[in-house]
Amino acid sequence: MCLLAALETVLVFVGFRFGLLFALICGSGCIAHAQTSRFVSNDLCKTCHSAIWNAFYKNPHFKSVASGKEPPESTGCQGCHGPAGNHIDNGGGKDTIRAFSVLPAAQVLDACLRCHSQTLSRANIRASQHTLNGMACTSCHSIHRARSVAGLLKKPQTALCEECHTDVRAQFAMPFKHRVEEGVISCTDCHNPHGSFAPTWKMASRPHQVDQAMANEEPCLKCHADKRGPFVFEHLGVRVDGCETCHAPHGSTNSRLLLRPVVFTLCLECHNGAGNFGRQGKGIPTQTSAHNMADPRYQNCTACHVRIHGSNADSNLLR
Amino acid sequence: MRIIALLLLVLCALDAQVPVAPSPDLAGEPRGENVQNYNIVNSFETGYRYGTVGGNIEQYRSSVNYGDGIRLLGSSLLVNSKDGHGRLFDHISLSTQGLGNDPYESVALSIQKNRMYRYDMGWRQNDYFNPGLVTAGGGGQHLLDTQNRMQDHNLTLFPQSNLKFFAGFSANSQSGPGYSSIQLFDGTGNIFPLFSNVRRVWREYRLGNEFRVFGIRVNWTHGWEDFKDDTGATLATGGVPGATPSEPVPAGLNSFHASDPNHGTNPYWRAAIFADRELFHLNGRFTYSGGRNAFVVDESAQASSPARIQNVVTLGNADRPVATGNLNLSFTPTSKLTIANSTSVHNVRTLGDSFFAQFDSQTQTTTALFYNYLGIRTVANDTNLNYQVSPLWGFMAGYHYSNRLIIFQKQFTFAGATSSDPAEQSNQLRAGEVGVRFAPWKPLSVLLGAEIGANSHPFTPIAGADYHALSGRVQYRVKTFRLAAAVNADYNSNSVSLTSYAAQSRTYSASGSWTPRDGFTLDAGFSRAHTYTIGGIAYFLDQQLLQNQSSIYLSNINSLYVSVRYEIRRRIDVYAGYTGVQDLGDGRGTATAGVGSAPALFQAVQTFPVAFQSPMARVSVKINGKLRWNAGYQYYAYRQDFTSLLGYRANTGYTSLSFSF
Repeated sequence: MCLLAALETVLVFVGFRFGLLFALICGSGCIAHAQTSRFVSNDLCKTCHSAIWNAFYKNPHFKSVASGKEPPESTGCQGCHGPAGNHIDNGGGKDTIRAFSVLPAAQVLDACLRCHSQTLSRANIRASQHTLNGMACTSCHSIHRARSVAGLLKKPQTALCEECHTDVRAQFAMPFKHRVEEGVISCTDCHNPHGSFAPTWKMASRPHQVDQAMANEEPCLKCHADKRGPFVFEHLGVRVDGCETCHAPHGSTNSRLLLRPVVFTLCLECHNGAGNFGRQGKGIPTQTSAHNMADPRYQNCTACHVRIHGSNADSNLLR
Repeated sequence: MRIIALLLLVLCALDAQVPVAPSPDLAGEPRGENVQNYNIVNSFETGYRYGTVGGNIEQYRSSVNYGDGIRLLGSSLLVNSKDGHGRLFDHISLSTQGLGNDPYESVALSIQKNRMYRYDMGWRQNDYFNPGLVTAGGGGQHLLDTQNRMQDHNLTLFPQSNLKFFAGFSANSQSGPGYSSIQLFDGTGNIFPLFSNVRRVWREYRLGNEFRVFGIRVNWTHGWEDFKDDTGATLATGGVPGATPSEPVPAGLNSFHASDPNHGTNPYWRAAIFADRELFHLNGRFTYSGGRNAFVVDESAQASSPARIQNVVTLGNADRPVATGNLNLSFTPTSKLTIANSTSVHNVRTLGDSFFAQFDSQTQTTTALFYNYLGIRTVANDTNLNYQVSPLWGFMAGYHYSNRLIIFQKQFTFAGATSSDPAEQSNQLRAGEVGVRFAPWKPLSVLLGAEIGANSHPFTPIAGADYHALSGRVQYRVKTFRLAAAVNADYNSNSVSLTSYAAQSRTYSASGSWTPRDGFTLDAGFSRAHTYTIGGIAYFLDQQLLQNQSSIYLSNINSLYVSVRYEIRRRIDVYAGYTGVQDLGDGRGTATAGVGSAPALFQAVQTFPVAFQSPMARVSVKINGKLRWNAGYQYYAYRQDFTSLLGYRANTGYTSLSFSF
């Protein structure tokens, strides 16, 4: 509780009412201020907000109203907006109730997480990139004017994400891409907008908010199960640093979302024998002298190394 | 109020330029019909889609793939009980897209009965066609013409109580013809094309429970995954030689057959705990999975000129036990300050045996036993501080530390002798990031961020080593107008004594949306992505090793979209849009000259100018309150400057009726 809210509580106790003034002074909308109000019947809200109430039975939050067993602070309008006593006494106004449109992001988060914190998908929300960048739940979700039933999103999911991530939208417009615009997959198939657990591949330049498959694997393996293994002969770069070693996951101007237009340049940038890289710290092995790069056949590495993602039968990933 | 909300929804749906159909416009106001104690809202759009393609049809199928035929382009059904006390259910939502014969089809279903159960289902089908990898001389390998089907089912019992039960099933399958290759009979042997029948199935079954004890919520799941790959391969065309018929090995195959069954299981456990108090929030997740794969490779080849027979059998299994743990703790001492700490442990071990037996009419019998071990243990810790100083501004700061230990064991038994080759390496990452956000007045927000990090022992020459990233974002937003711009810059230097690798990428983007009045919307955006990398390479030319060469890759991709929607007298809706992408490469006009290191080979292929554009237009006419007629046209054009044979042009379109109540 902030000091002003504490002072206000004392003054209310002795008969003075400065709710609006104190709320304005403290920056408006701290939860403590709303709590100095009192709960009233949710039916009173219908008087002015009839349009919202009349359609509220279609809202997932209606469950708590329907149960009829929840205490006032956990159900109906006041379950989210806080006690409405002051709001009614003052004839409405955003300063007399918890109005999400004027709440700071952190307080929106606190209000929503009162019920929505204890799920695995939101376990990392307080440290997520969205939260750290000042986004609140209401940046993406709209309780009363949602576009999608699932998740109560303000817009269809793809449009919503691309509104801020314009560069990613451009990648999905490239000639080779995952079918996000076509609707066959969505951003949340790979990403968790509420924050994800620490990725365990690709140590530097850690991918943000990438949702893991089981056992902290890359989400790519949810669909591309044949690349998962385990293989007796793993392609170590794939297993240690992940699919993005060779692929651009959103979209690319190169076939198969590869980082380079042709395959051998991609392979040779790692297989150059240099430095203390690779399995033994002696560099990642170069090709053998039999590989004459002037011959087109050797420029097509995966024509022979067909099991490039890992093999059970050949250490050189040939079969 | 409802009409305004509906219009807003429709406008929002137009924000992104998705394929021309299905239409985002609804036929009327979705007020729904009341039947007994339920309200039912329903809409569907059905029509005919067509497409004509010129140029490389395989490339079209790879990236667009829409064809002719009648479709249920989209549908939506929403049923809600009006008092939350329906007899069998309180809520049903069903939505579909592309059913009929679109290459991308999906269904989503959700059924709920308050306090009793919740069932969610998702089904997707994706026609996946890939003409094969582009090579320097055009063409490609590993063609796939498969269908991927994915489905998820989740059932929750007592979803609003403190004691819940979960059950789930997921499946993912891929099937269809493929075209691959194999290299025989020795290291310099020919490459032969193969036809394969892809048959892969992955399934997962889940059971779980959630309960509350001493104010802590506990959630656990036990799952079983199994995977089967029964893809086999046969000779595509008899005796077709590879790219080097002059090799001293048989030029052609008389027969070839390969059977490569590969079956795996992956039982797993996952447990999670959650505890919320006024000042701190704690949650943890712990998983264990024990993946196991058993395989057999049975391969036989027979060739003539000179005659040669080779049979190969490989069998064995591979295991991958994985144990993970995550613990998150966050403090909120004041409403303005959050301190979050996250610790993760990830331990994965992959170990396997592979017994190899080969009979070759020339080299006789060979047997060998391989054993490989790969262990990766990663411990990571993240600490973030997020402080909102005032409504005007706030900042965040974070520190990340990771420690990765990789242990290898490579063992090989041949002719009774065993050789072992153990290795180990460790790597530490230390990274810090800061960010500042401003909101000088309500419509305007500014974000600035920076991250710097260092890896002590990156695994590959292209991995992040000494890197830093800068980002900025500004957005101005009022009710009818939104303008946003962003910039991201990533730099990485991974240089060692013998070689160097440096990469820089910068992305600039800007977008805007203007809705001056109901019925008119203008959206536009532009993005420029610049990538420049230089890496050390070494390779052989006529058995001569070329070292200290550089591979330079340069890409400059411009992307533009613009769309406008105009509604005439609330009856006719007109939409036009354009998307264009162009990779300018390094600016050269031919494949054989330009920037790069000395070898012409690399100069030829290190940049690949392409252009892709897709204008579209759609008109939607309201016939009555429940019915709409729609028609649309979309043009696709793809061009590769250096390989003109891969370009295509396509005219696609559709006409449909939308019905809703």
